[in-house]
Amino acid sequence: MKFTRKSLCIPYALWLCLFVVAPLFVLFYYAFTDGTGAFTLSNLTGFFTDPNALGTLVYSFAIAIVTTAVCLLLAYPTAYILATGKLKERQGVILIFVMPMWINFSLRITALKELLDVIEGNLAMYPFLNAVIGMTYDFLPFMILPIYTTIMRLDPAYIEAANDLGANNRDAFFKVTLPLSMPGIMSGVSMVFLPAMTNYVVLDMLYNSTYIMGSLIGSYFSAYNWNGGSMIALILLGIICLFTLLGGSDEEETKARGGALL
Amino acid sequence: MKRPHKLTALALGAFALSLLTSPVMPAFAAEGTSADTGKTVTLRVCNWEEYIDTGDWGEDETIDLPSGDIRGDNSMVEDFEQWYYETYGVRVKVEYSTFGTNEDLYNMLTLGDTYDLVCPSEYMFMKLMDEGQLVPLSDHFFDTSDENNYYIRSVSPYLENIFQTQERNGEPWAKYAAGYMWGVTGIVYNPNVVTKEEASTWNIFDNPKFYRQVTIKDNVRDSYFAAVGAIKSSLLTSQDFLADPNYHENLEEEMNDTSPEMVGEVQDWLQGVKDNVYSFETDSGKADMITGKVVANYQWSGDAVYTMDQADEDDYTLNFAVPEESTNIYFDGWVMLKRGIGGDAAKQQAAEAFINFLSRPDNAIRNMYYIGYTSFISGGDDDRIFEYLKWNYAADEDETDTVDYNLDYFFEGEGKDDGKYVFSAPADAVDRQLSAQYPSTDVIQRSSIMRCFTPEESKLTNQMWVNVRCYNLSKITPAGWVLIALFVTAVVFAAVQKGRRRHHQSEAGKRQMERRKKD
Repeated sequence: MKFTRKSLCIPYALWLCLFVVAPLFVLFYYAFTDGTGAFTLSNLTGFFTDPNALGTLVYSFAIAIVTTAVCLLLAYPTAYILATGKLKERQGVILIFVMPMWINFSLRITALKELLDVIEGNLAMYPFLNAVIGMTYDFLPFMILPIYTTIMRLDPAYIEAANDLGANNRDAFFKVTLPLSMPGIMSGVSMVFLPAMTNYVVLDMLYNSTYIMGSLIGSYFSAYNWNGGSMIALILLGIICLFTLLGGSDEEETKARGGALL
Repeated sequence: MKRPHKLTALALGAFALSLLTSPVMPAFAAEGTSADTGKTVTLRVCNWEEYIDTGDWGEDETIDLPSGDIRGDNSMVEDFEQWYYETYGVRVKVEYSTFGTNEDLYNMLTLGDTYDLVCPSEYMFMKLMDEGQLVPLSDHFFDTSDENNYYIRSVSPYLENIFQTQERNGEPWAKYAAGYMWGVTGIVYNPNVVTKEEASTWNIFDNPKFYRQVTIKDNVRDSYFAAVGAIKSSLLTSQDFLADPNYHENLEEEMNDTSPEMVGEVQDWLQGVKDNVYSFETDSGKADMITGKVVANYQWSGDAVYTMDQADEDDYTLNFAVPEESTNIYFDGWVMLKRGIGGDAAKQQAAEAFINFLSRPDNAIRNMYYIGYTSFISGGDDDRIFEYLKWNYAADEDETDTVDYNLDYFFEGEGKDDGKYVFSAPADAVDRQLSAQYPSTDVIQRSSIMRCFTPEESKLTNQMWVNVRCYNLSKITPAGWVLIALFVTAVVFAAVQKGRRRHHQSEAGKRQMERRKKD
């Protein structure tokens, strides 16, 4: 057989089949069968008629939306200043934002827990707030980097042109920079929003005893109800796909991902 | 029964993987059991995490009993391999692994892991008994004339009686299970803030005085037990109930109440508790108790001993109380698995010898010292367990404030009270490690075994648990509904916009193409 560039893809294709596609089939199989292996839709209807499951969905959404909004509010100005400001040591400053990600996650949250304990007095009084703070702390770099990369790539000539045509700085920002940095924002949102719906370890560690989607799936599995758990995982997957379709698909977006920096 | 932690998201991946590998696994296992490995017997043991002495004791850790020193230089497993060769002339290789919760172990077994000897709690080995997965212990194991049969020669008569009389499908536990560690559930508390009376009831979890300052266990069984105790508190502590000649049977009946009405009440109670406690904890409770984040914590006696020991090192005093209503007495026992042993006599002999070796009183002491839990072994003719107890807990001769602590039940069997196993302990020890490691006769009186839930009961209680932990739709306020409506509208609007834009683009594209064609 001739060695072509396509052959280089084989290891990854194998990996993909084994660990992404095959488990997905297993997921589908369990989601649409009952304990005995017979086809059923009851897992699906069960989810949408269960006030607890739906309540959990709403609660997870609430945490994810607030987390994403807070991340965006913190990240956009930061990324903007980083990208456009006259910083001498730009790479050094970026490093400061990336560095927390090199420290073990549970260690970071434990440290945050002790800090919040001192500030709040009793952590258990503010479960929702703590969940949002913990997640923001954890996911902020994922929001900063794509936005930073997008703004960095903007041609300053656009702004100059806007200024020449009579726009003041404020108009130039809202009518040129912000719309052009949308792909970065969308990319950041998708990297923050979806994990924030499922990352229950943060809640556990910060003493929020209410289930979110991740812990709900976990509870089904520890009750040996793999069918119900798989269905919830699948529904979550569906929601994620929906949002990705709504948000993404612009060509610019792929360029904007800050993956290389991570 | 040690700290459980939640099945992680990894489980799904592991599960998918095991589906791929499971047909292969038994084939490997079969090879391991056959004689082609020479004279070496391989024994696959799976035990709780941190539940056995791993040796390497420091110089100052020697337990200097009157009858001689006890030390752990090598790990228990290495010592067993050595002992087995010296005693039986056969080499044995122990493949030792661990699990985190009973449910994890069950999942591991379901997914195709093969072990010969495992150590689940009583409700889980009952489940395994139901499913016919276990090999009965041999007659030889119960032969007291063989002096290497340390288990049957030195197990506590009280505990052995429980294992003989508790039945599952008409068979006693003792047919399949040999006990390892046991204990009761109770409350570790900070005596500066919480009084003994306040800590001696399951109602402490919904006591508004300790709003957001107590933790409860993050698992159905333990929380269910506490809830039943709290709900039935006035009945369980009433004079009539206590004076009934069938008190103990009645107590077990009440504490194992899983009627749908009871499950409903438990759900209501736990929902109230959720809004009052600091958290449902899996393993953070011990640390939070020591650092003072919480003032009381639901705990298993072995972990309670550990917590109090740690606090002592920081000159911080914590006590232990067992609720007046009832306490859950639990047992971790060794059972052999059919799929692992598979009729291999040499393997079964090694497995039973492993149990016996752990039951040798000096080894039982090593394990107790190392992990803080309480061994099944009382010593039989061997006095070392009682010596160790006194070494650990007896009052100094010059101490004045002492009480007599009676453990006849443990060493001689329940109902025995001849004062042979009484020793003088400092008065405060009764509220501390001693009472946790060796519960008093009173506590044993009000202890109740929690039965294994049937599949229907499991379904009911698991659903109850999810209901407690989830955010119910009915909790959403009108303002919340408005927000949700706004959000949904925004999403739909965005979708419509997107669709329209795409449509425009493709329309524009078409027109352009047509124009080009015309040109």
